[in-house]
Amino acid sequence: MLNWSQYCVEAATILLALALMSSIFVLAVNRGATRTPELVAAGGGGGSVALAERPQEVAPARGGLAVYGSWLTRLALAFLTTALVLRGIVTGHGPFANQYEFAVAFGWGIVAAFAFFEYRYRVRALGLLVLPVAGGLLLYAMTVGAKADPLVPALQNNLLLTVHVALAIIAYGAFSVACAAGALYLISPPEGRRWLPKPEKLDEIAYRAVVIAFPLMTLVIILGAVWAQIAWGTYWSWDPKETASLFTWLIYGAYLHARVVRGWRGRRANWLLMLGFAAVLFTFFGNLFFGGLHSYSGVAK
Amino acid sequence: MSQTVRPSPASRKPAGGKGTTSAGRGNPSARDGRTPTPKKPASRPEPAAEEAPVGFGDALDWLWKFFISRRTGLVLILVLGLMSLAGTLLEQAPGELRNDPQAYAGWLDSVKPKYGGWTWLLDKAGLFGTFSSWWFKGTLVLLTTSIVACSLHRIPQIMRRTGHPKAQPPDAFFDRSGLRAVIPVGPDPEEALALAAKTLRGKHFRAVVHEGGAAGRVSGTALYADRFRWAPYGSIAAHLGFVVVLLGAFLSASTGFKDTQFVAPVGYKVEVGHGTGLQLQALAFNDAYYDNGAPKDYASDLVLYDHGKQVARQTVRVNQPLSYGGVSFYQSFFGTAAGIKVTDAQQNVVSDTAVPLQWQSDDGKHSIGQLVMAAQKTQVYVVLPASGQVDPNIQAGQVQLEVYANGSSTPTATQVISQGKPTTIAGLTYTFQRERQFTGLIVARDPGVWLVWAGSAFLVTGIFLVFFFPYRRLWVLARRGPEGETTLHLAAQLKRDTAFEPQFRELVADLERAAATSTDTAPTSPRK
Ligand code: HEM
Repeated sequence: MLNWSQYCVEAATILLALALMSSIFVLAVNRGATRTPELVAAGGGGGSVALAERPQEVAPARGGLAVYGSWLTRLALAFLTTALVLRGIVTGHGPFANQYEFAVAFGWGIVAAFAFFEYRYRVRALGLLVLPVAGGLLLYAMTVGAKADPLVPALQNNLLLTVHVALAIIAYGAFSVACAAGALYLISPPEGRRWLPKPEKLDEIAYRAVVIAFPLMTLVIILGAVWAQIAWGTYWSWDPKETASLFTWLIYGAYLHARVVRGWRGRRANWLLMLGFAAVLFTFFGNLFFGGLHSYSGVAK
Repeated sequence: MSQTVRPSPASRKPAGGKGTTSAGRGNPSARDGRTPTPKKPASRPEPAAEEAPVGFGDALDWLWKFFISRRTGLVLILVLGLMSLAGTLLEQAPGELRNDPQAYAGWLDSVKPKYGGWTWLLDKAGLFGTFSSWWFKGTLVLLTTSIVACSLHRIPQIMRRTGHPKAQPPDAFFDRSGLRAVIPVGPDPEEALALAAKTLRGKHFRAVVHEGGAAGRVSGTALYADRFRWAPYGSIAAHLGFVVVLLGAFLSASTGFKDTQFVAPVGYKVEVGHGTGLQLQALAFNDAYYDNGAPKDYASDLVLYDHGKQVARQTVRVNQPLSYGGVSFYQSFFGTAAGIKVTDAQQNVVSDTAVPLQWQSDDGKHSIGQLVMAAQKTQVYVVLPASGQVDPNIQAGQVQLEVYANGSSTPTATQVISQGKPTTIAGLTYTFQRERQFTGLIVARDPGVWLVWAGSAFLVTGIFLVFFFPYRRLWVLARRGPEGETTLHLAAQLKRDTAFEPQFRELVADLERAAATSTDTAPTSPRK
């Protein structure tokens, strides 16, 4: 079954590549076309809803290829889910025993968050930035190899750890969407680009993603502290993985506040999203660089 | 920024000298805050006697404004973030080390190749111990102050906003607000509003119909509705929760203890110390491995005595600590100990313990333990081959002793002794009794931990409340047109809560449907 799990990961990687190509193609086409006339929100019946000073949603490009792109992403998500479930059944624990498992799970989180936001807000352009990151993680996972490792004693507190990691993955996935939306915001001039959603819309999507991710990230850190308390007798020991996640958390906390401070709203706030996702990636890959309690090296030293 | 001005000590200040009071408060000059000079400023025609309290009040006012400012909060969070980044990227000297100047100097030398000429500067800036540096602590104090001030400032605001909503915004609001809708209804405004109230209540809104009209209104009747009006307190809970976490951490650090090197050789009773009056005895230790050699389980069978009386017995594993009276024991490491008995020339027992061989020699070939006999001014290093290593000089059943007189760096004697054979070295007789396993535990008492958990609970719950139960308000006005027809005007703010929009549309659609059925008339023509 481990093999099947790995085939699923490979299939998902290919699907993501195809999804990326279709988004690029769709955008290239849209770029040439004029913007779809904006919908005027009609309340139906006799009333009307006026949305003062707010841009309408960009009408989704409902072309055939675009729809295929969405379905490719969803199919990739299904494959990744299957991969993780199969592996979970074989190993008997969540995806946290080694770097391979966590990379695949991180990829899953990104694809899941993207699929959700694409469904909800119809912003395909996010895929331009999100899909390569997810694909890259899966490729990285393949290079580290899919060997299943037994759990060292410190990782055997299954439920707590599973929840801790699962929430981290969803949070990181949503942060990646926030980063993508923020990046598109930052490359947009104030009046927006023709082939992109309006800057206000991008700003809002980024905020919505953080609204999901930030509470989860808070929980992740707290559950991590609970686990550390149980395993090592300290809820916080300033090991690099902990300080890196504290940094991440503070940056997103700063972002939430920046949105209500004059002079920070807009560009600066969105720059914080770039910094925040850099911190997420660093926290993830940091495992490779620094040891500490999270080095998964077991307890006896 | 908020419009409300807190009644502060400064409001006692008589106007004059520098413009109106309100302007002065709205834009406090830097001078007000920074220099509470005892000298009487020429521009202030006030008696000298009243000078000091006024200056003090100004300073307080300035401080208050400083701490409640969102910009201040933002900057403090960013500064804290910067420090945690520094603490992540730079090597951090272990805490025990930093209290020992000599060891710390050695540590600094060890990182010099990495940081070169910067080492000195980084050290002076406290960046090798970022999280215990005074400026990290200082930032935390400022942040705490700011959060508390912000919360105190916001509580009355929230109470006012959610408890005494403005039932009648100006008419213009209905033509200008971010979200608005117009719905034609039957002829009677009162009935129309009642219908709106009913629909909104069906959607779990609280709806308050404002009776009686204000002069100048097109229609005298308006309605206010809101939902999740307690959610804004979640923000307060989250902010104060964070403060409680910090308080807990402070309490832990200042009144708790943590011993990461506690060693209990199997079979021996060991004093826990730190004023606990506890003794611990390990009855057994077991380690188990997977086929590939990866560790699977470590388990210590422990008995705990309080002033000699047994109070607990438990098998402690990595995720199953033993806790008694606020003191917890966590499985941490393990190894070999050498049971050694020492007697002096008069046959008095000087020491009878198992010496844990906790350290490795630099080449990794030997395990080393230390036996200190303070009264005899003697230290002994006990050496065995590390597990898996062979040393032809130290056979099975033997142990090597290196005896040092206090303060000397060359051994008085180095000798290999055999199990059960008393051997006299430098006036003391050593008997190697047997090899023992020892279990290494972390022993900790952490009185702040409950505050940390409580604060965390508030933090998470609060954040979830504000984000997922957004406080939403809307206003409805019934207007009567020139031909006697009535229209319902719905309005709501659309500031940061952009997710309100779809719900608002849904409400409007519901209301239209309700209006259509209740009046039994087809919906009137669309508004132009
Ligand atoms: C690390 C510490 C902090 C954390 C974790 C934190 C967390 C949050 C979160 C999650 C929000 C968004 C939810 C809401 O609107 O209530 C928020 C908003 C807010 N925070 Fe903080 N905060 C921190 C520090 C501060 C400080 C120091 C201040 C005061 C200067 C402050 C003032 C505010 C204000 C006024 C809002 C409401 C913004 C609005 O109008 O929507 N916070 N905070």
